[in-house]
Amino acid sequence: MNVVKTRKVLVVEDSRLIHKMYEVMLRPCMLIAAHDGREGLARLGENPDVDVIILDINMPHMTGLEFLGQVKTMPEFAAIPVIIVSTEGKEEDVARGLQAGAVAYLKKPFQREDLLKIIGRLTINPPAA
Amino acid sequence: MADGPRKSSYSAADSGDPLATLMRARQLIHDAQAAIEEAHKSVVQQRSASQEIPERELRLAKAENEREELATRLAEVEHQVGRLMTLYVATYQLHATLDPADVQSTIGEIAVNLLGAERFALLLRDEDESALEIRLQEGAIDATWSGGTSYTGGDPLIDASLLDGMLRFGPVENSPALVVVPLRVQDITVGALVITKLFDHKGKLDEEDHDLLDLLGAHAASALFASRVYSRAARKLRTLEGLIKLVKQG
Repeated sequence: MNVVKTRKVLVVEDSRLIHKMYEVMLRPCMLIAAHDGREGLARLGENPDVDVIILDINMPHMTGLEFLGQVKTMPEFAAIPVIIVSTEGKEEDVARGLQAGAVAYLKKPFQREDLLKIIGRLTINPPAA
Repeated sequence: MADGPRKSSYSAADSGDPLATLMRARQLIHDAQAAIEEAHKSVVQQRSASQEIPERELRLAKAENEREELATRLAEVEHQVGRLMTLYVATYQLHATLDPADVQSTIGEIAVNLLGAERFALLLRDEDESALEIRLQEGAIDATWSGGTSYTGGDPLIDASLLDGMLRFGPVENSPALVVVPLRVQDITVGALVITKLFDHKGKLDEEDHDLLDLLGAHAASALFASRVYSRAARKLRTLEGLIKLVKQG
Protein backbone atom coordinates (compact mmCIF):
# COMPACT_ATOMS: atom_id res chain seq x y z
CA MET A 1 0.00 0.00 0.00
CA ASN A 2 1.54 3.30 -0.97
CA VAL A 3 -0.66 5.49 1.22
CA VAL A 4 1.96 5.94 3.89
CA LYS A 5 4.24 8.46 2.27
CA THR A 6 7.18 9.60 4.32
CA ARG A 7 5.42 11.52 7.06
CA LYS A 8 6.18 12.57 10.59
CA VAL A 9 3.87 10.85 13.04
CA LEU A 10 3.66 11.52 16.76
CA VAL A 11 2.56 8.38 18.63
CA VAL A 12 1.20 9.04 22.12
CA GLU A 13 0.70 5.60 23.63
CA ASP A 14 1.71 3.93 26.90
CA SER A 15 2.13 0.40 25.55
CA ARG A 16 5.65 -0.52 24.37
CA LEU A 17 4.12 -3.35 22.39
CA ILE A 18 1.94 -0.96 20.40
CA HIS A 19 4.84 1.43 19.84
CA LYS A 20 6.73 -1.48 18.30
CA MET A 21 3.65 -2.36 16.25
CA TYR A 22 3.49 1.15 14.75
CA GLU A 23 7.21 1.06 14.11
CA VAL A 24 6.76 -2.07 12.00
CA MET A 25 3.45 -1.12 10.38
CA LEU A 26 4.34 2.46 9.48
CA ARG A 27 7.92 1.76 8.43
CA PRO A 28 8.36 4.58 5.89
CA CYS A 29 7.12 7.15 8.42
CA MET A 30 9.28 8.99 10.89
CA LEU A 31 7.81 8.19 14.31
CA ILE A 32 8.13 10.36 17.41
CA ALA A 33 7.32 8.36 20.56
CA ALA A 34 5.60 9.64 23.69
CA HIS A 35 4.30 7.44 26.51
CA ASP A 36 1.63 9.70 28.01
CA GLY A 37 -0.17 12.93 27.24
CA ARG A 38 2.29 15.11 29.11
CA GLU A 39 5.25 13.69 27.20
CA GLY A 40 3.17 13.99 24.03
CA LEU A 41 2.86 17.77 24.51
CA ALA A 42 6.60 18.05 25.11
CA ARG A 43 7.41 16.04 21.95
CA LEU A 44 4.94 18.13 19.97
CA GLY A 45 6.67 21.31 21.11
CA GLU A 46 9.97 19.91 19.89
CA ASN A 47 8.44 18.73 16.59
CA PRO A 48 5.91 21.31 15.42
CA ASP A 49 6.07 19.90 11.85
CA VAL A 50 4.26 16.67 12.82
CA ASP A 51 1.82 15.54 10.08
CA VAL A 52 -0.39 13.18 12.10
CA ILE A 53 -0.89 12.28 15.76
CA ILE A 54 -1.87 8.74 16.77
CA LEU A 55 -3.33 8.86 20.25
CA ASP A 56 -4.29 6.34 22.92
CA ILE A 57 -6.93 7.26 25.52
CA ASN A 58 -6.00 5.46 28.73
CA MET A 59 -2.57 6.66 29.77
CA PRO A 60 -0.93 7.69 33.04
CA HIS A 61 -0.29 11.35 34.01
CA MET A 62 -2.42 12.83 31.21
CA THR A 63 -5.10 10.93 29.29
CA GLY A 64 -5.50 11.06 25.54
CA LEU A 65 -8.62 13.23 25.77
CA GLU A 66 -6.86 15.71 28.06
CA PHE A 67 -3.96 15.83 25.61
CA LEU A 68 -6.35 16.37 22.70
CA GLY A 69 -8.15 19.16 24.58
CA GLN A 70 -4.83 20.95 25.15
CA VAL A 71 -3.68 20.52 21.54
CA LYS A 72 -6.92 22.01 20.20
CA THR A 73 -6.37 25.17 22.25
CA MET A 74 -2.94 25.73 20.69
CA PRO A 75 -3.40 27.49 17.33
CA GLU A 76 -0.07 26.23 15.98
CA PHE A 77 -1.07 22.59 16.53
CA ALA A 78 -4.86 22.65 16.36
CA ALA A 79 -4.96 21.69 12.67
CA ILE A 80 -2.82 18.55 13.03
CA PRO A 81 -5.10 15.55 12.40
CA VAL A 82 -5.44 13.24 15.39
CA ILE A 83 -6.35 9.55 15.07
CA ILE A 84 -7.51 7.93 18.30
CA VAL A 85 -6.60 4.25 18.64
CA SER A 86 -8.05 2.83 21.83
CA THR A 87 -9.54 -0.20 23.54
CA GLU A 88 -12.43 2.05 24.62
CA GLY A 89 -14.93 0.96 22.01
CA LYS A 90 -18.37 2.04 23.20
CA GLU A 91 -20.37 4.39 20.99
CA GLU A 92 -20.16 7.17 23.57
CA ASP A 93 -16.36 6.78 23.74
CA VAL A 94 -16.12 7.17 19.97
CA ALA A 95 -18.47 10.17 20.01
CA ARG A 96 -16.50 11.79 22.83
CA GLY A 97 -13.23 11.35 20.93
CA LEU A 98 -14.61 12.77 17.69
CA GLN A 99 -16.28 15.68 19.50
CA ALA A 100 -12.96 16.47 21.14
CA GLY A 101 -11.51 16.98 17.67
CA ALA A 102 -10.13 13.63 16.49
CA VAL A 103 -10.54 12.99 12.75
CA ALA A 104 -10.87 9.21 13.16
CA TYR A 105 -11.36 6.60 15.87
CA LEU A 106 -9.96 3.09 15.61
CA LYS A 107 -10.73 0.38 18.16
CA LYS A 108 -8.05 -2.01 19.42
CA PRO A 109 -7.33 -4.64 18.33
CA PHE A 110 -7.10 -3.05 14.90
CA GLN A 111 -6.12 -4.22 11.44
CA ARG A 112 -3.12 -2.66 9.76
CA GLU A 113 -5.13 -2.02 6.58
CA ASP A 114 -7.65 0.09 8.51
CA LEU A 115 -4.95 2.32 9.97
CA LEU A 116 -3.25 2.71 6.58
CA LYS A 117 -6.60 3.56 4.98
CA ILE A 118 -7.20 6.35 7.50
CA ILE A 119 -3.70 7.76 7.07
CA GLY A 120 -4.10 7.46 3.29
CA ARG A 121 -7.40 9.34 3.46
CA LEU A 122 -5.71 12.11 5.41
CA THR A 123 -2.98 12.27 2.76
CA ILE A 124 -5.55 12.71 -0.01
CA ASN A 125 -7.94 14.95 1.90
CA PRO A 126 -6.07 16.81 4.62
CA PRO A 127 -8.54 18.27 7.13
CA ALA A 128 -9.24 21.96 6.78
CA ALA A 129 -7.33 24.22 9.15
CA MET B 1 -7.33 -5.10 -80.56
CA ALA B 2 -4.28 -2.90 -81.07
CA ASP B 3 -3.64 0.11 -78.84
CA GLY B 4 -3.42 2.57 -81.62
CA PRO B 5 -6.96 2.41 -82.96
CA ARG B 6 -8.40 2.30 -79.39
CA LYS B 7 -6.72 5.56 -78.43
CA SER B 8 -7.95 7.17 -81.59
CA SER B 9 -11.42 5.71 -81.06
CA TYR B 10 -11.67 7.58 -77.67
CA SER B 11 -11.06 10.82 -79.33
CA ALA B 12 -13.60 9.82 -81.87
CA ALA B 13 -16.24 8.82 -79.33
CA ASP B 14 -17.91 12.17 -79.25
CA SER B 15 -18.17 12.15 -82.97
CA GLY B 16 -20.77 9.35 -82.86
CA ASP B 17 -18.44 6.59 -83.99
CA PRO B 18 -20.13 3.29 -82.86
CA LEU B 19 -16.80 1.58 -82.25
CA ALA B 20 -15.68 4.40 -80.05
CA THR B 21 -18.97 4.31 -78.21
CA LEU B 22 -18.53 0.58 -77.65
CA MET B 23 -15.04 1.12 -76.36
CA ARG B 24 -16.28 3.84 -74.10
CA ALA B 25 -19.03 1.56 -72.80
CA ARG B 26 -16.50 -1.19 -72.17
CA GLN B 27 -14.32 1.24 -70.22
CA LEU B 28 -17.32 2.33 -68.17
CA ILE B 29 -18.17 -1.29 -67.39
CA HIS B 30 -14.57 -1.88 -66.34
CA ASP B 31 -14.64 1.17 -64.07
CA ALA B 32 -17.96 0.10 -62.63
CA GLN B 33 -16.59 -3.40 -61.94
CA ALA B 34 -13.58 -1.87 -60.21
CA ALA B 35 -15.88 0.31 -58.10
CA ILE B 36 -18.03 -2.72 -57.21
CA GLU B 37 -14.93 -4.67 -56.18
CA GLU B 38 -13.75 -1.72 -54.09
CA ALA B 39 -17.16 -1.49 -52.44
CA HIS B 40 -17.18 -5.24 -51.82
CA LYS B 41 -13.76 -5.01 -50.20
CA SER B 42 -14.97 -2.17 -48.02
CA VAL B 43 -18.06 -4.18 -46.99
CA VAL B 44 -15.87 -7.17 -46.12
CA GLN B 45 -13.57 -4.95 -44.05
CA GLN B 46 -16.51 -3.41 -42.23
CA ARG B 47 -17.96 -6.85 -41.52
CA SER B 48 -14.63 -8.04 -40.18
CA ALA B 49 -14.33 -4.91 -38.00
CA SER B 50 -17.83 -5.39 -36.65
CA GLN B 51 -16.94 -9.00 -35.88
CA GLU B 52 -13.88 -7.76 -33.90
CA ILE B 53 -15.95 -5.53 -31.59
CA PRO B 54 -17.47 -8.36 -29.52
CA GLU B 55 -14.09 -10.04 -29.48
CA ARG B 56 -12.49 -6.87 -28.11
CA GLU B 57 -15.30 -6.43 -25.60
CA LEU B 58 -14.67 -9.98 -24.44
CA ARG B 59 -10.97 -9.27 -24.00
CA LEU B 60 -11.76 -6.07 -22.12
CA ALA B 61 -14.12 -7.91 -19.77
CA LYS B 62 -11.47 -10.58 -19.21
CA ALA B 63 -8.86 -7.92 -18.41
CA GLU B 64 -11.32 -6.25 -16.02
CA ASN B 65 -11.93 -9.60 -14.25
CA GLU B 66 -8.20 -10.18 -13.95
CA ARG B 67 -7.75 -6.68 -12.52
CA GLU B 68 -10.46 -7.34 -9.91
CA GLU B 69 -8.94 -10.71 -9.05
CA LEU B 70 -5.51 -9.11 -8.60
CA ALA B 71 -7.00 -6.37 -6.40
CA THR B 72 -8.65 -9.04 -4.23
CA ARG B 73 -5.40 -10.99 -4.01
CA LEU B 74 -3.49 -7.83 -3.14
CA ALA B 75 -5.95 -7.09 -0.33
CA GLU B 76 -5.52 -10.67 0.94
CA VAL B 77 -1.74 -10.38 0.83
CA GLU B 78 -1.90 -7.02 2.65
CA HIS B 79 -4.07 -8.66 5.30
CA GLN B 80 -1.62 -11.56 5.68
CA VAL B 81 1.26 -9.10 5.98
CA GLY B 82 -0.65 -7.37 8.80
CA ARG B 83 -1.19 -10.71 10.55
CA LEU B 84 2.47 -11.64 10.26
CA MET B 85 3.48 -8.23 11.57
CA THR B 86 1.27 -8.76 14.62
CA LEU B 87 2.83 -12.16 15.31
CA TYR B 88 6.32 -10.80 14.75
CA VAL B 89 5.80 -7.87 17.11
CA ALA B 90 4.30 -10.11 19.81
CA THR B 91 7.27 -12.50 19.60
CA TYR B 92 9.80 -9.67 19.45
CA GLN B 93 8.37 -7.92 22.46
CA LEU B 94 8.15 -11.10 24.55
CA HIS B 95 11.85 -11.78 24.03
CA ALA B 96 12.99 -8.16 24.20
CA THR B 97 13.58 -8.26 27.95
CA LEU B 98 15.02 -10.53 30.65
CA ASP B 99 13.03 -8.93 33.44
CA PRO B 100 10.21 -11.29 34.55
CA ALA B 101 7.95 -8.33 35.45
CA ASP B 102 8.38 -6.86 31.96
CA VAL B 103 7.61 -10.22 30.31
CA GLN B 104 4.43 -10.51 32.40
CA SER B 105 3.44 -7.00 31.49
CA THR B 106 4.02 -7.77 27.78
CA ILE B 107 1.74 -10.81 28.09
CA GLY B 108 -0.92 -8.50 29.52
CA GLU B 109 -0.42 -5.99 26.70
CA ILE B 110 -0.79 -8.74 24.10
CA ALA B 111 -3.99 -9.94 25.77
CA VAL B 112 -5.51 -6.44 25.84
CA ASN B 113 -4.22 -4.85 22.65
CA LEU B 114 -3.90 -7.77 20.25
CA LEU B 115 -6.54 -10.21 21.48
CA GLY B 116 -9.06 -7.70 22.80
CA ALA B 117 -9.27 -9.24 26.29
CA GLU B 118 -11.12 -7.10 28.82
CA ARG B 119 -10.84 -9.54 31.73
CA PHE B 120 -8.07 -12.07 32.15
CA ALA B 121 -5.61 -13.57 34.60
CA LEU B 122 -2.07 -14.85 34.27
CA LEU B 123 -1.35 -17.87 36.42
CA LEU B 124 2.24 -18.95 36.94
CA ARG B 125 3.86 -21.74 38.91
CA ASP B 126 6.03 -20.30 41.66
CA GLU B 127 9.74 -21.01 41.84
CA ASP B 128 9.41 -24.25 43.85
CA GLU B 129 6.54 -25.27 41.49
CA SER B 130 4.16 -26.06 44.33
CA ALA B 131 1.34 -23.63 43.53
CA LEU B 132 0.01 -21.44 40.76
CA GLU B 133 0.35 -17.76 41.60
CA ILE B 134 -2.01 -15.19 40.12
CA ARG B 135 0.63 -12.84 38.72
CA LEU B 136 -1.64 -10.56 36.75
CA GLN B 137 -5.36 -9.91 36.81
CA GLU B 138 -7.31 -7.43 34.73
CA GLY B 139 -10.95 -6.76 35.56
CA ALA B 140 -13.20 -8.63 37.98
CA ILE B 141 -13.42 -12.34 37.24
CA ASP B 142 -16.45 -14.25 38.43
CA ALA B 143 -14.55 -17.10 40.14
CA THR B 144 -13.68 -18.09 43.70
CA TRP B 145 -9.95 -17.67 43.01
CA SER B 146 -10.39 -14.18 41.55
CA GLY B 147 -8.65 -11.40 43.49
CA GLY B 148 -6.57 -13.89 45.50
CA THR B 149 -2.88 -14.62 45.30
CA SER B 150 -2.99 -18.19 44.08
CA TYR B 151 -5.06 -20.66 42.10
CA THR B 152 -5.53 -23.97 43.86
CA GLY B 153 -7.74 -25.72 41.34
CA GLY B 154 -11.46 -26.21 40.83
CA ASP B 155 -12.06 -24.67 37.42
CA PRO B 156 -12.63 -27.57 35.01
CA LEU B 157 -11.30 -25.76 31.93
CA ILE B 158 -8.17 -24.45 33.64
CA ASP B 159 -7.48 -27.77 35.37
CA ALA B 160 -7.86 -29.75 32.14
CA SER B 161 -5.60 -27.36 30.27
CA LEU B 162 -2.93 -27.41 32.96
CA LEU B 163 -3.07 -31.20 33.00
CA ASP B 164 -2.67 -31.93 29.29
CA GLY B 165 -1.18 -28.64 28.10
CA MET B 166 -3.86 -28.15 25.42
CA LEU B 167 -5.41 -24.88 24.38
CA ARG B 168 -9.05 -24.99 25.51
CA PHE B 169 -12.08 -22.93 24.65
CA GLY B 170 -15.15 -22.29 26.77
CA PRO B 171 -17.78 -21.90 27.73
CA VAL B 172 -18.06 -25.01 29.88
CA GLU B 173 -20.07 -25.56 33.02
CA ASN B 174 -18.62 -24.11 36.24
CA SER B 175 -15.96 -22.07 34.45
CA PRO B 176 -16.01 -18.39 33.50
CA ALA B 177 -13.13 -18.92 31.05
CA LEU B 178 -13.56 -18.20 27.34
CA VAL B 179 -10.15 -19.59 26.58
CA VAL B 180 -7.27 -21.06 28.57
CA VAL B 181 -3.82 -20.80 27.01
CA PRO B 182 -1.37 -23.15 28.70
CA LEU B 183 2.13 -21.72 28.86
CA ARG B 184 4.47 -24.58 28.01
CA VAL B 185 8.20 -24.87 27.80
CA GLN B 186 10.01 -28.17 27.13
CA ASP B 187 6.76 -30.10 27.62
CA ILE B 188 6.22 -28.59 31.05
CA THR B 189 3.22 -26.37 31.72
CA VAL B 190 4.52 -23.43 33.73
CA GLY B 191 1.26 -21.50 33.85
CA ALA B 192 -1.78 -20.36 31.93
CA LEU B 193 -3.40 -17.26 30.55
CA VAL B 194 -7.10 -17.34 31.32
CA ILE B 195 -9.33 -14.97 29.36
CA THR B 196 -12.86 -14.60 30.71
CA LYS B 197 -14.22 -11.64 28.73
CA LEU B 198 -13.47 -9.87 25.48
CA PHE B 199 -14.24 -6.22 24.74
CA ASP B 200 -17.77 -5.88 23.39
CA HIS B 201 -16.48 -4.48 20.10
CA LYS B 202 -14.15 -7.47 19.72
CA GLY B 203 -17.03 -9.92 19.79
CA LYS B 204 -15.33 -13.31 19.56
CA LEU B 205 -11.96 -14.89 18.97
CA ASP B 206 -11.49 -15.75 15.30
CA GLU B 207 -9.21 -18.03 13.33
CA GLU B 208 -6.44 -15.41 13.25
CA ASP B 209 -6.50 -15.08 17.04
CA HIS B 210 -5.77 -18.80 17.33
CA ASP B 211 -2.33 -18.24 15.77
CA LEU B 212 -1.63 -15.59 18.36
CA LEU B 213 -2.86 -17.85 21.19
CA ASP B 214 -0.57 -20.64 19.94
CA LEU B 215 2.32 -18.22 19.77
CA LEU B 216 1.61 -16.99 23.30
CA GLY B 217 1.50 -20.57 24.63
CA ALA B 218 5.01 -21.27 23.38
CA HIS B 219 6.83 -17.92 23.39
CA ALA B 220 5.39 -16.44 26.58
CA ALA B 221 6.46 -19.54 28.49
CA SER B 222 9.99 -19.59 27.10
CA ALA B 223 10.37 -15.83 27.62
CA LEU B 224 9.18 -16.20 31.23
CA PHE B 225 11.43 -19.21 31.79
CA ALA B 226 14.48 -17.40 30.38
CA SER B 227 13.81 -14.26 32.41
CA ARG B 228 13.39 -16.29 35.62
CA VAL B 229 16.61 -18.22 35.02
CA TYR B 230 18.41 -14.96 34.29
CA SER B 231 17.08 -13.17 37.37
CA ARG B 232 17.90 -16.21 39.54
CA ALA B 233 21.44 -16.28 38.14
CA ALA B 234 21.79 -12.51 38.61
CA ARG B 235 20.60 -12.85 42.22
CA LYS B 236 23.12 -15.64 42.90
CA LEU B 237 25.85 -13.60 41.28
CA ARG B 238 25.05 -10.63 43.49
CA THR B 239 25.13 -12.88 46.60
CA LEU B 240 28.47 -14.34 45.56
CA GLU B 241 29.88 -10.90 44.89
CA GLY B 242 28.72 -9.81 48.34
CA LEU B 243 30.38 -12.83 49.94
CA ILE B 244 33.63 -12.23 48.08
CA LYS B 245 33.57 -8.62 49.20
CA LEU B 246 33.04 -9.72 52.81
CA VAL B 247 35.86 -12.24 52.57
CA LYS B 248 38.16 -9.60 51.13
CA GLN B 249 37.26 -7.17 53.91
CA GLY B 250 37.76 -9.89 56.56
